[in-house]
Amino acid sequence: MTLQPANTGELQTIAHDARARSTPLRLVSRGTWPAGVTGGVVASTSLDLSLFTGIVEYVPGDLTLTAGSATTISEIDAATAAHNQWCPLLPWGDDGGSLGATFATATTGPCARSLGTPRDVAIGVQFVDGTGALARGGGRVVKNVAGFDLTRLMVGSWGTLGAITEISIRLRARPVVDESWTLYFTPGDIAAQSRLAALRRGPLAPLASEILTTAHAAALGFPRASALIRLGGNTAFVAAARAAMREIGRTEPCDTTVWSRYRALDPHPRAVTANAFADPLSRRIKMLFDPAHVWNRFECGTGAEGKS
Amino acid sequence: MPELATTLSHIVGTRYCLTRATELLAYATDALPGNRRRPRLAVMPGTRDETVAVVRALYAAGMPFVPRGAGTGLSGGALADNVVLLGLQRLRQIITIDPESRTATVEPGVVNAALSKAALPFGLHYAPDPSSQTACTIGGNLAENAGGPHCLKYGVTLNHVLAATVVLPNGEIVSLTAPSEETPAYDLLGAFVGSEGCFGVAIDITVRLTPNPEHVHTMLADFSSIDDAARATSAIIAAGILPAALELMDAATIQAVESSIYAAGYPIDAAAVLLVEVDGAADGLDDDVEAVVRICRACGARMVRSASDAIERGRLWQGRKKAFGAMGRLAPHLAVQDAVVPRSQLAPILARMAEIGTRHNVRICNVFHAGDGNLHPNIPYDAGNADESARVHAAMSEIMELCISVGGTITGEHGVGSDKLAYMERMFPGDSLDAMCRLRDAFDPERRANPGKVVPSHRCKEWHAAPGAHT
Amino acid sequence: MTRTAADLLPLRGAELCVHCGFCLQACPTYLALDDENDSPRGRIVLMKALAEGAIASNDPDARRHLDRCLGCRGCETACPSGVPYGQLLEQTRERLTTGRPLPLVARTILFVFARPRLLGMVMFGARMFRATGMPALLARVPGRLGFAMAMLASTARPQRAYPAADPDGGRGTVAILDGCVMEGLFTSINRATEHVLDVNGYLRVAAHGQRCCGALHAHAGDAALARALARANIAAFEKSGAQFVCTNSAGCGAAMKEYSQLLRDDPEWHNRAAAFGARVRDVSELLAVAGPRTAGSLPGAPTVTYDAPCHLQHGQHVTIPPLTVLAAMSQLTLIPLTDSDQCCGSAGIYNLIEPELSDQVLAPKLAHIAASGAAIVATGNPGCLMQIGAGLARSGSPATARHPVELLAEAYRKS
Ligand SMILES: Cc1cc2nc3c(=O)[nH]c(=O)nc-3n(C[C@H](O)[C@H](O)[C@H](O)COP(=O)(O)OP(=O)(O)OC[C@H]3O[C@@H](n4cnc5c(N)ncnc54)[C@H](O)[C@@H]3O)c2cc1C
Ligand code: SF4
Ligand code: SF4
Repeated sequence: MTLQPANTGELQTIAHDARARSTPLRLVSRGTWPAGVTGGVVASTSLDLSLFTGIVEYVPGDLTLTAGSATTISEIDAATAAHNQWCPLLPWGDDGGSLGATFATATTGPCARSLGTPRDVAIGVQFVDGTGALARGGGRVVKNVAGFDLTRLMVGSWGTLGAITEISIRLRARPVVDESWTLYFTPGDIAAQSRLAALRRGPLAPLASEILTTAHAAALGFPRASALIRLGGNTAFVAAARAAMREIGRTEPCDTTVWSRYRALDPHPRAVTANAFADPLSRRIKMLFDPAHVWNRFECGTGAEGKS
Repeated sequence: MPELATTLSHIVGTRYCLTRATELLAYATDALPGNRRRPRLAVMPGTRDETVAVVRALYAAGMPFVPRGAGTGLSGGALADNVVLLGLQRLRQIITIDPESRTATVEPGVVNAALSKAALPFGLHYAPDPSSQTACTIGGNLAENAGGPHCLKYGVTLNHVLAATVVLPNGEIVSLTAPSEETPAYDLLGAFVGSEGCFGVAIDITVRLTPNPEHVHTMLADFSSIDDAARATSAIIAAGILPAALELMDAATIQAVESSIYAAGYPIDAAAVLLVEVDGAADGLDDDVEAVVRICRACGARMVRSASDAIERGRLWQGRKKAFGAMGRLAPHLAVQDAVVPRSQLAPILARMAEIGTRHNVRICNVFHAGDGNLHPNIPYDAGNADESARVHAAMSEIMELCISVGGTITGEHGVGSDKLAYMERMFPGDSLDAMCRLRDAFDPERRANPGKVVPSHRCKEWHAAPGAHT
Repeated sequence: MTRTAADLLPLRGAELCVHCGFCLQACPTYLALDDENDSPRGRIVLMKALAEGAIASNDPDARRHLDRCLGCRGCETACPSGVPYGQLLEQTRERLTTGRPLPLVARTILFVFARPRLLGMVMFGARMFRATGMPALLARVPGRLGFAMAMLASTARPQRAYPAADPDGGRGTVAILDGCVMEGLFTSINRATEHVLDVNGYLRVAAHGQRCCGALHAHAGDAALARALARANIAAFEKSGAQFVCTNSAGCGAAMKEYSQLLRDDPEWHNRAAAFGARVRDVSELLAVAGPRTAGSLPGAPTVTYDAPCHLQHGQHVTIPPLTVLAAMSQLTLIPLTDSDQCCGSAGIYNLIEPELSDQVLAPKLAHIAASGAAIVATGNPGCLMQIGAGLARSGSPATARHPVELLAEAYRKS
């Protein structure tokens, strides 16, 4: 069975009901990876959140955006690109996936080191928890310490505490220059690898740099490429970074769209394991936010992974 | 009570368990002016083990407590109203600095600036730099999720804390770490950061250290109207430049600073100045500098001056960092406020704040983290003057209402503490406050740690059910 | 003098404190004891409460924490609000002494210092005793006695004769405060001071009738005696007609520059005190203005580090001139000293009254000096010279504590 609430009121009713009847719920947002999260969750009822969608507020001058949790990554990308901004997450997975799932699973992406992870980017969250309460944490401004941090609690909770309905995030301006390269060096070349590590640690650090497995390189159409590099910044900065990169090995330019293809390969799978959320403190939190234990009850060990 | 004091003295030594009224006076205040709460006793453990033992003894005695770092908090977070004050200032050992992984593990009483000083030989520093950094502790920073001028680019405390060992109020010890991508877990560390002492006591904290920037360029832009300075701020942010810091000071602040010993050479006839710092690799920095200068000029800056050397740079910053203190000269008391508003609306909001000030006949001094929209409207006044105090209070409430009404928040870095409890109900609906209470209950079901702070207790639905709730 | 509302407050200047805590880490006693009651902010709370009558003036806790204050005024330098801590402390100590006698050691010392002939005899006795070599031998004895002996031994210096310089007097006339300890135990530094002033173009004139500066008395709370001494000095130096009043003792300098505070309620003397204070200069200030004339090497081209006396650094805000004086010696290597602005624990007669805490404060100072590797610690205050000198000797360090001016005079003599 699938339930599809149209608003927070309906969602709260569902939550109350599920609690009262101890009906386990499987949260689904865009459902891009049905074999992922949904596969690991024991529930015969699906809670479809796809109607919580659309950009609620976007003020380019503030570099902040608030959107329904089912809004897709590509929608946000398109809206912000019009103002030369982007959502810094650029998460692993298909861009048809949702913002809500990205935060619920704390999914990062290749740019996380330089641009931040979901916990750094989220500034506010609204959700309905397992008691049926509609709660809000944080807000829409970039700095906020009012109250205990429900936002951080929800980021990475994998739908086990409640359903995220809306998220506010901080955006970044797109860099003036944004270019991508493949880098080639022999697999055992320790010197090249340490030069790459030094570049990543240094002041000319790339936006993203990923060592490619043979399989991923082949899938992207660069059979022998060792690494994928993305340089971003103003002209002078990128010129210097490019020069430093070329010290490492042979390079070839490539199209920036390579990154969404690479992200869709999801090279870093995540999984809810048996001991996730199992420490006493986490159990207490679970008990307080989902007393009937009905939200995304994971069947651990079966490799619940990915996002929806 | 005497038994508890005996037990505690046994753990920490008589010298560090204060029970007499005179000696408790110094612990009756933090940096929130005009608020005094006498603790029942003050206990100051000297080691992490002693701290754990103290918390356990307090738990056994059913006695609530308030952790305290350096007592520089501006929201009354470290005030202990007839409960035990747990002073952590003696825990000031830097346990390790690892230049390779760029991390440091410290005890909570380590002073923020002392950590950066210790990291200096490795070319590293601890990035969050509250203006109080020469005094406040890393434990207090963690508990308040402190920010500072350079947090615009580098992020606040949350973004720099990697792990913490915490004694829960029931004496349990837990290790909290930032969840890694591979192993899903609740972000218990993220929840603890900013919990204002209500979730337990951090006894060691692992933080990220940041490489000192290759190059730093500090500019002072001078405006003949505060509106222009605010517009320049919004324009710099909108243009996608990410300065390391972007601070605004208005005429009243400039004058206070310039007449203090920290005179920084700010133009005293300016209506506002912007202190803008860009940093990073040498390459490309000039372009950012040029862009900042161009935007400031376009917004009407009379002059944009660059610090020529480290000494001048230090002087420009010194003035900013000591600005609150310098305002202490203007009147016996200073009401310090902290709120955040959307950055695109700085100019109209500052104008409305000025109007509120005029209407209530109070003098508002603005000095704030403009790049984040984090306002600090401060009002010097004389608390002994009842009429003036009432006007200050009225003006401050109106300013807070204004900030909430434009989608802002009631605190960006100083915390709710006891001072802003009332505003929490204006900010959040009841269910949200109750959810916050539940989060707290996971860490401290009996609400023993820093009771009565952050969320008004009548907003916690389960309050009456909680065992020990009324101790 | 016009009275402002602030004059009527129970503790003038305390209202400036905004409780920010910026002073905590600047306070040596807070760093040593970790209790906010032993910090500037905590002491201000206590002082306010005493002034308002919220705690009794014989409250033993309040007294203990206030007695432990070094009076180093490191907190003043750290304070962005301009809280005049030193003045608050003097006001409070005055209030406290009216209700209780000072400890016997303190009383004896203050009594002696206020009586020139008695002081002269005591100092003579001390010099004789020093000459026996006994103090140097006893300096290693553990405890207070040993430390006192080490202090006395550390004052020993060979007497130097300086070639007569022919001052052109172009830089103005100066009258030197002899200083009780300086003239009594550091006689050679006073001679050195005269010599470097001569060389740098100052014309010395005598100020007869000068007395102890009264700093010790004011710090200890004997304000009445401090005021009497201040008046005597103002009169003596006025009569000398000198443009500048020079001192080589930081503690005396700070006290004299602030006579107008001490005498603020004395309508007849307040303005005279202010005019007098404006003429007071540390010897390093006079030298810095004059250049000073450069000198060649000191024997062995020593490594030197500078420790700032609190009453120069925090009390008078004189920070650069002593370094300028040292820089005038071309072959000397100046090494920076970590936390050179922190108190050494000497603090007037503090090291005799609070020996344990004084030791705790001295310990990090000695460690930093050792880490610097310098052979000489330069510092311009008799108390600091003795405290650091004794500490070095007792810890077996080969380093010695010297006044910047004696180094300069020595260098002039050699070149
Ligand atoms: C002049 C001035 C300027 C300031 N500027 C800034 C600024 O730029 N940015 C900013 O963010 N803040 C600023 N502050 C506020 C203050 O310095 C910070 O909030 C700081 O983080 C408090 O640290 P502290 O050690 O003084 O903590 P305290 O004031 O002692 O305590 C603050 C809170 O933390 C809790 N706490 C302390 N230690 C622990 C621990 N180990 N475990 C659990 N809880 C603990 C306490 O219970 C209390 O609730 C300023 C304050 C002043 C006076
Ligand atoms: S004078 Fe020195 S010892 Fe006394 S409170 Fe100030 S800093 Fe501390
Ligand atoms: S620094 Fe100054 S204002 Fe701040 S607490 Fe200390 S004395 Fe008071």
